[in-house]
This record gives sequence, C-alpha cells and structure tokens, in this order.
Amino acid sequence: MSGKFRVWRSTLLAYAGALLIFALTSLYSPGFAAPSHLRSLIVVSAFTGIVAIGQTLVIIGGGIDLSVPWVLNSSAILVTLIADGANGPLLWAVPAIVAGGALVGAINGAGIAWAGIPPIIMTLSTNTILQGLLLVATGGSPPAMTPHVLQVMATGRAGPLPVIMLIWLALAAAVTLLLGRTVLGRYLYALGTARMVAEFSGVPVRRVILSAYAISGATAAFAGVLLTGYSGQAYLGMGDPFLFTSIAAVAIGGASILGGNGTYLGTIAGALVLTILTGLLAIFRLSNGALLVIYGVVILFTVSLATPAVQSAVARLARRRAG
Amino acid sequence: MAGIGPLLAPAAILLLLLAVLASLRRGVLTLDELNTDTAAAMTLILVATGETIVILRGGIDLSVGGMLSLATAIAATRGAAGPFEMAGWAALILAVGGGVGMLNGALISTLELQPFLVTLATWSIVGGTALIVLPSEGGAVPGWWVDAGAGTLFGLSLAVWSLAALLLWWAWFRRTRVALSIRAAGSNERSAFLSGVALGRSNVAAYGLSGLFAALGGLFLTSQTGSGSPTVGNDFVLPAVAAVVIGGTVLSGGRGGLVGSALGAFILTIIGNVVFVLHISSYWQPVVAGLILVLSVLATSLSDLAMARRDAAL
Amino acid sequence: MALLQATGITKRFGGIVALNGVAFAAEAGEVHAVLGENGAGKSTFIQILSGAIAADDGTLSLRDRPFRPANPREAERAGIAPVFQELSLVPDLSVAENIWFRRERRTWLRTIDRRDLLRRTARLLGELGLTRIAPDRVVRHLSVAERQMVEIAKALAADPDILILDEATSALPPQEVDWLLAIARRRADAGKLVLYISHRLAEVRRVADRVTVLRNGETVGTRSTSSLSDDEIVTMMLGRRLDRLYPERSTTRTERIALQVVGLTVGHRLQGVDLSLHEGEILGVAGLQGHGQRELFLALFGAARSRGRISVWGRDVAIRDPHHALSSGIGMALLPEDRRLQGLLLSKSVRENLILAILPRISRHGLLDLKREGTLVAEAVRRLQVKVSSPEQLAGTLSGGNQQKVVLAKLLATQAKILLFYDPTRGVDVGTKAEIFVLMRDLAAQGYAILFYSTDLPELTHLADRVAVLSYGRVAAVLEGDAIDEEAILHATLGERQAAA
Repeated sequence: MSGKFRVWRSTLLAYAGALLIFALTSLYSPGFAAPSHLRSLIVVSAFTGIVAIGQTLVIIGGGIDLSVPWVLNSSAILVTLIADGANGPLLWAVPAIVAGGALVGAINGAGIAWAGIPPIIMTLSTNTILQGLLLVATGGSPPAMTPHVLQVMATGRAGPLPVIMLIWLALAAAVTLLLGRTVLGRYLYALGTARMVAEFSGVPVRRVILSAYAISGATAAFAGVLLTGYSGQAYLGMGDPFLFTSIAAVAIGGASILGGNGTYLGTIAGALVLTILTGLLAIFRLSNGALLVIYGVVILFTVSLATPAVQSAVARLARRRAG
Repeated sequence: MAGIGPLLAPAAILLLLLAVLASLRRGVLTLDELNTDTAAAMTLILVATGETIVILRGGIDLSVGGMLSLATAIAATRGAAGPFEMAGWAALILAVGGGVGMLNGALISTLELQPFLVTLATWSIVGGTALIVLPSEGGAVPGWWVDAGAGTLFGLSLAVWSLAALLLWWAWFRRTRVALSIRAAGSNERSAFLSGVALGRSNVAAYGLSGLFAALGGLFLTSQTGSGSPTVGNDFVLPAVAAVVIGGTVLSGGRGGLVGSALGAFILTIIGNVVFVLHISSYWQPVVAGLILVLSVLATSLSDLAMARRDAAL
Repeated sequence: MALLQATGITKRFGGIVALNGVAFAAEAGEVHAVLGENGAGKSTFIQILSGAIAADDGTLSLRDRPFRPANPREAERAGIAPVFQELSLVPDLSVAENIWFRRERRTWLRTIDRRDLLRRTARLLGELGLTRIAPDRVVRHLSVAERQMVEIAKALAADPDILILDEATSALPPQEVDWLLAIARRRADAGKLVLYISHRLAEVRRVADRVTVLRNGETVGTRSTSSLSDDEIVTMMLGRRLDRLYPERSTTRTERIALQVVGLTVGHRLQGVDLSLHEGEILGVAGLQGHGQRELFLALFGAARSRGRISVWGRDVAIRDPHHALSSGIGMALLPEDRRLQGLLLSKSVRENLILAILPRISRHGLLDLKREGTLVAEAVRRLQVKVSSPEQLAGTLSGGNQQKVVLAKLLATQAKILLFYDPTRGVDVGTKAEIFVLMRDLAAQGYAILFYSTDLPELTHLADRVAVLSYGRVAAVLEGDAIDEEAILHATLGERQAAA
C-alpha cells in the first residue's frame, strides 16, 4: 500500500472514532447534538487544539514538548499583569508574549539540537524553571482581571460562529499547509523518520528542530492568552491539564509518538475525541476517576490500531473473509 | 557496570549542597538529619528505583504516578485492619503494582507499542482507579504503621533501614541474569536478540518491577503521611525520571544504576532545604532543580565523550 | 549421514524472493564454504540456520532429525554458533559478559560469579592468542577488528558442533585472517563442521574442503574446492562469464583541482592526511576497515569534526555540516556507508527520498511546486533506471541495488560536482554493480570529481585512476596508472605498520 494512502487512513480512522462516540452519546442524550452544545464542544476543543499545534509539529519531528503547561501559564499571567484590565496594552503585549513563548521554545530547540539534551529532559527543565520563575514573580498569587477584548475573543461570536473557532480554523489551515506543502514540513517528516538520513541528505536539522520548538512555544503562549479570556482570569496551574491533552490528541489522531508521520487534521480529531469523552462525565454521571480510566483505554485502543502487528492481523482477517 | 565514573557528578552536586547546608545551619551532619532527609527522599527513591530499571531497558514508565496514588488509596481505605490483615492488603497492593507493570511490559512487547504512550495511558487508567477507590484525600492507615514510619530502631529511622535494604537488594539484583538481560536489551535490542535474550520477557520483568516499586513507594508514603491521596503520585513521575537522569543513567538505556538515582533523588529533595536555609523564596526550588537537571545531562554526555576519546586503539 | 541438511528452503521479504528452494548438505569434519554474489541469499540462509528468522517453506534437519529453531536461543542449544557480519555483541557489556552471555556460572545466590567469568575469559582469550584484549573492557570501547575477534571468541566459547563464519574476515588484518583460517581448519580436523561464507575466493581456497554456490536464491551446485578453477566458480556465481563487469579505462582527468586536503585530522583515527582530487578523476581509497576511511569521508562531508585544511575548487572552506557541504557554494555529496541507516527513509516513498536534498530548489516562497517535483522524480528514475512499480513505492521494499540507485539519484539531483562514494557496491547485485561502474566513468567524463572507497581490490584496480592507500590513519602510498595492482595495494596497507613497529 503506498505511503500517501497510509497517512490519510489513520486520520480518517480518528474522525470515524470521533463521529462514532459522538453518535452513540447523542443517541443516549439527544441534547448532546444540539447546536449550542456543538458550539461549546468546539470552543473547548479549540484550546487543546491550539496548544496541540506545536505538539504536533514537535512530535512529527521526533521530539516532545513537556514545557507547554508553564509556557501557557506564564503567558496567561503576564498578559493579565501587563494589561491590568485595560485593552490598550494588549496591542503590543500579546505579540510580545507570543514572541516570548517562541523564545522559550527556541531555547528548548537549541538545547536539544546543539547541546544534544534529550527532549524529555530539556523541555521538562524549562517547564520546571518557568514554574519557579513565575511563582517567584507573582509571589504565589496571580493577578486577577482579564481585559475585556480577550474575553470577547475567547467567548464571543462572529455571526453564528464563535470567534475562537474562526481563530482555530485559520491556524489549522496554516499548520496543514505548513506540514503538507512547505519545505519545513517535509523536513520535519524526514527528521522524525530518521535523523541521520535527513542530516546526510542536507536537511538543516538543527534549524528545523529550533523552528518546531519555537512554534510550539508560540502556540502555547497564544493559547494561554486566549485561555485567560475564556476563564476570565489567570490562575496558577491552568496549564497543567494541557500536557496530557495535547499529547493524547496527537496520539489519538494517528501520529506515531516516534515521529515521521501524522497530520494536524488528525490531531483535531483527537482533540474532539477528548472533549466528547469529557462530556460523557456529565451525561453518564461519571466520576473524575472513571473519566481518566476511559481516556487511558481510548488512547491504548487507538494506538494499538495503528501498530503493524494489529494491522497485519486485521489484514489477514479481511483476506480470510474475502477469500 | 561502568564503575564509579558516572557517579562522580551527582555525588559532587550532593556534597556541594550538603556543604552549603552545613555552613549555614547547625546539626546537618547528625543522625537526626540523616533520618529526616532520608524519610523525605525515600518515596522518590523507591519510585526512581523502578524507573531506573525501565530506563535501563531503554523505555520509560509514566504509570508509576497512578500506581503510587492507587497504593496509598487502597492502604488508606483499610484503616481499621489489624497487622495480619494489613499484611494481606500490602501484599495485594504489591501484586497489583507488579501485575499492572507486567501488563505494561506485555503490551509494549506484543503490540510493539511505544513505552511513552502505553504508560501514559495506563497512568491515566490507574490514576483514575485511584480516584474511584478514594475520591478525595483522606482515609486513614493503621496507627501502628504511622508510628513505625516515625520511629527509630537503633537510632535509625524506618527510611534509613529501608534504604539500606534497598541498596543490598540492588547489589544482589544487578548481578542476576535478569538484570544483565535487561541492560543488554536496553543497550542494543538487536544484539541482545541475536545473543538469545527473550526481549518480551525482559520487558515484562522491567516494567513489572517498576510497578512493584511504585506500589512500595506508596506504602512507604502512607507511613509518613498517615493518609491516602488519589493524586499524590502525579507529582512523582517527572521527578523520578529527573532523579534517574541526574544520577547518570542515560535515557537510551544500557548504562546506569540505582546508586546514581538515589543520589539524584536526594539532590532533588535537599534543594528545598538549601533554598530555605539561604533565605530565598521557596519558589526558587524548581528553578534550581531544572538547572541541575540540564547541567547533569550535559555532564553525562561530556563524560561519555571523554571516555569515547580514550578508545584510541586500532 | 549429513550433519546438516536443507531442502526446498524458501523465504520472501514482501515482494522480493530471497531464497527459492535452496538445497544444502554439509558433513561433520569439514570446512564447507558458501559462495555467492551479493543478493544471492547467503546471509538470509545463515539467518535461518541460526534462528534469527524463520523460513517460509522447506525443511531443515540436524543429524537426520527435523530442526526448526524459533529463535537464536534454540539454535544455540542445538549446537550452532554464528559469527555475523552485524555483530551480536552488546555495546555496554564487557568482553567477558558478552562471551559467556547467558552461559555464566552462577553463585548459590543466583548471581553471576564475576571472578569465575573473568578467569574463564582470560583463559579462553589466552588459548586463542588474544591476550591483548582485556576481559573487563566494555565492548563499546573496542576497535572494529577487536570486536570481530571477540565475536569469534564468543562463538568458540560454546564449542559448537557447527560454527558459522559469515564474512567474518572483512574487518580483520591479514595476520588475524590467518589466525581465523587456522582455527577453522583445526575445528574441522577435530570433527566439527565449519560453514564459511565469503566472497573472497583466495581465502576459500585456503580453507574450504567443499563449496556450495548460491545464485539468485537458488543452489547452483556443491563441489569439492580442488575440483573447481576460479573461473568455474565465478561462472557458477554469476551465471555467465565475467567479461565486461568494468568499463573501458579512459583518462578524463584535467589539471583543475576539485578538492585539496592538507593535514586532515579526525580524533585518533585519521592522523594528518594529504590528498588532491582532480576534476574528471576517479580517486580510489584503499585500506582495511577501521583505518580512517570512515573519518575521512565524514569529515569531508561535514559530518565529523576535523582539523586541517580543505579547499574546494581552489577556495579554502570550513565545512560546517552536510547541509553546508551540499550547498551550491561547495557542492560535495556523500553516498554513505549504510544506505539503510544513513541513505534512505525506508518508510517513505521513493519520490520523497529522491527530492529530499533539493526541496528548496523545487519550491517558491517556501511552498512546494508539485509539478516540478513530479518531473524531477520521473527524470531521476529514468536516468538511473531504478526498477520501481511507481514513485510511490516505499523505499524499504526495493532491492539493495535499486535502493543504492535511489540514493545516487538523490545525490546527483543536487548537482554537486564532487562525489564521495563510500563502498558504493556493498550489498549490491552484479548487474547493478556494472551499471554503477559505467555511471562513475560517465560522470568523470562529464567533469565530476569522484573519491571512492572500496573494500574490493579488483574494483579499485579496474576503476580508479589513482589509489591512495590508508594505513593506521595516514596515507601510506599513492599508486598511479600501471602501478595499481592488488599486490601493491596490500603491500602498502601493511608497510606503514612495519615501519611504525
């Protein structure tokens, strides 16, 4: 089977899965499929989705970014600190903060590409260091008020569609284009498949790693800014859930954790699956614990589907049925 | 068995921290301090033990977080039980730990799944189970267990005795064939396979031990806190990996050992004391920890380069 | 009764048939050689015998009883000890731990008895004359030749009934080759069986009683060594007479110097090498494995740090990395040693591999021009006659020869004028080899400058305009024109060592 088809198959599977869970839940609880609920589903998924942009790029390139939680949290805190409730400062503060996120990402990338530090360790370190620095800066109690503009961005609507959904769509289009049609995208896939081969084929490996982590830092920072708008305030620990969800979204979307394949469209499906599963909490009146168990089982299930061992078993079954 | 070399860096860092501590505070080099610090570090040391074995195999185990929580959760919901019953429950907890671990290993081998993802998923599953068993912090473990945790025998705390036992165990374990097979498979899976190692079995053994030690860590933790917590384990996962790396074990597998990880765990634990004694905000603790982590990895790769340069022979 | 017998052994890898009904019989007390060109199936057959892979079809029997090893462990228990080309030594374990792996004596505590281990290892190494290798040294720190010898010691430690030597001499200097051949003979005389896989006829003649020739995954025949002439053996291996394997010699070299190297040093392995490569020239590099060739090529390509002066087309350059080497300012491309690990993205399509090095050139403002991509890919496939069903075929499913062609095409697309070929015909079938040789001559005629390393002496003597012989990290001799012959190259390889001693 040719390579191209294979790429799309895992993405399609992810969407099929999302649709299936959605359909089953709607059957049980019709309100689930109501437009208003669909909207909130997408809005909640958007945050994971935006953070997962960077994670997708980094994982495709063969790494992982564990610094997402505190880059996000730092940007959230910084934006409320700087703006102090006013809208004006946002004009320069937001781009500056996103650039700051990119800088942290670049530091990650530099440590990984030039100093040879394993991604787990490098990004874990920056995460921890950022956490400490932020705690020192805020003395443990973060500022409160979020500027109005941000709240509008995160919760407002442009016609029937939530503003944040449009933002997500625009970003998604950009990432898909980057991965599918640009030189950087091809470089990332090559790097994640076999670094040495990429290097010997003239891929500027270190620059590519730097770029991927820089983008990851930027998107995490941007998500932090948006998240303050959504929750109305910045608080300590708001970034922590996104580590698990960003990685899980990429994995459920069909990308190999080792790198070299996967699409952002798949990650979107993964983010949707995670959000739908969270919705089950209210509907089936599940405890938090049960939800976590379900998350784990779903992840195991989806990654098992993608493995060669399972795929050849499925192929054999199919052949037996047909022949 | 690379010898003392890789241990020099973490040992030096620990000595430095202790020196700083000793210069600013009295009573650092006393038995009391040893008892206290070891008790504070022991849970992390136990989790890091399992993590060391898995990393030597070339993998990683994120599910230790969930298992630690689950162990404390189960223990704390059996508060009234007498010594024999508690022993039974303890055995059950350890069995669950080992069992889940072996399942991890089996999934990784038979389905050819990536350790990071599998253990991420089982972390969620086991952690979720902990929440189901004990929805919020609380519960109670038998009083005599907490007393044991706080008491001393011949002047040494339970923690110190446990550490001694652990080191003894490691001195034995690292010389067994199982351990050698684990290291071989972590060093180069293909070569290990050609040399006759049953790769699947070495995975089951490594991850099984990891789950077991995480459960053991949970049991120890309850002796210190007296209660259970369904989420406490989450804060131990990445520090455990950090302790292993600071201790000189490489993430790619095949090289390293428990002594380094124990040093790493002590370093991470004592940073808090040092920060406190220097009268700077405790919030600097994670910053120092993060910096030490990065510097340790650099130190390890530099010493690797130095050793590689020594093999001049043609 | 044949000790080891095989009938109808078949093995497929995806669409490629590696073995097609191989028949084989070997007896105790002989050294039995298995000969064949690259791609004939020798390695696959050995892997099946030693339990590393399973045959799809056919029967194996050991002492007239069916034998189906499911893994290397079982083959080991049956008395088969292979010495592979790809080493089975675990890098982070010591020599002693590797040799007695899973056969150690254990104490009453079930731990491995270290002292006994070191003692037995020292004794074994002593018996084999390998005293200079310390038993507790970590394998990672040994040289390639030392590792090969430990690998051999490991196989011998089990005192196997069947010892399999698979191209075991490729990394060994001549003295050690003698040592190994003597061991093989001694074992056969003691009633054991030694299977000797090689493509070096001289060695086979010295040591083997009988020869089985494989070609295209099938058995051509089994004869006694003395009954066959070299020509007959080669004919059996190739299926035709060895006429035009090599193209006509011609001089296309100009005065212009493409690449000049002065005092190039890399770590301990390369110690001050001077070279000059001319436009239109094919400069061969000879020498035993581990004497600095790898470091030389990697340093030139920017993949290893080095000291010394490198000038390209008359300009001094400091080559930062392969990206820099391939850039239009320098234009130097490396055909790497291991195409599976360094040359190809096996899980990606041929198309993706072909354009990997020239992506910026087929894009505008960062976006890829898919039409140009398609054109370039089609042209590359046609130019080198790569046998693929479509450019979307995965690179990992191609034969060795075709894979090498894809890597070549990728390099040629970069329009780099200085080509560094590291063992270009390794693991490549005879047909593709001939094509590669013709290609090299053509490229030289077009003004390319080619530096090529080969472990195959006939290749060097037939293709190279000049040959630089590396020995212990230095250039021992540069042979030109008629002075190039196998004797001279071998002599130069050894000469430096005698001078140093």
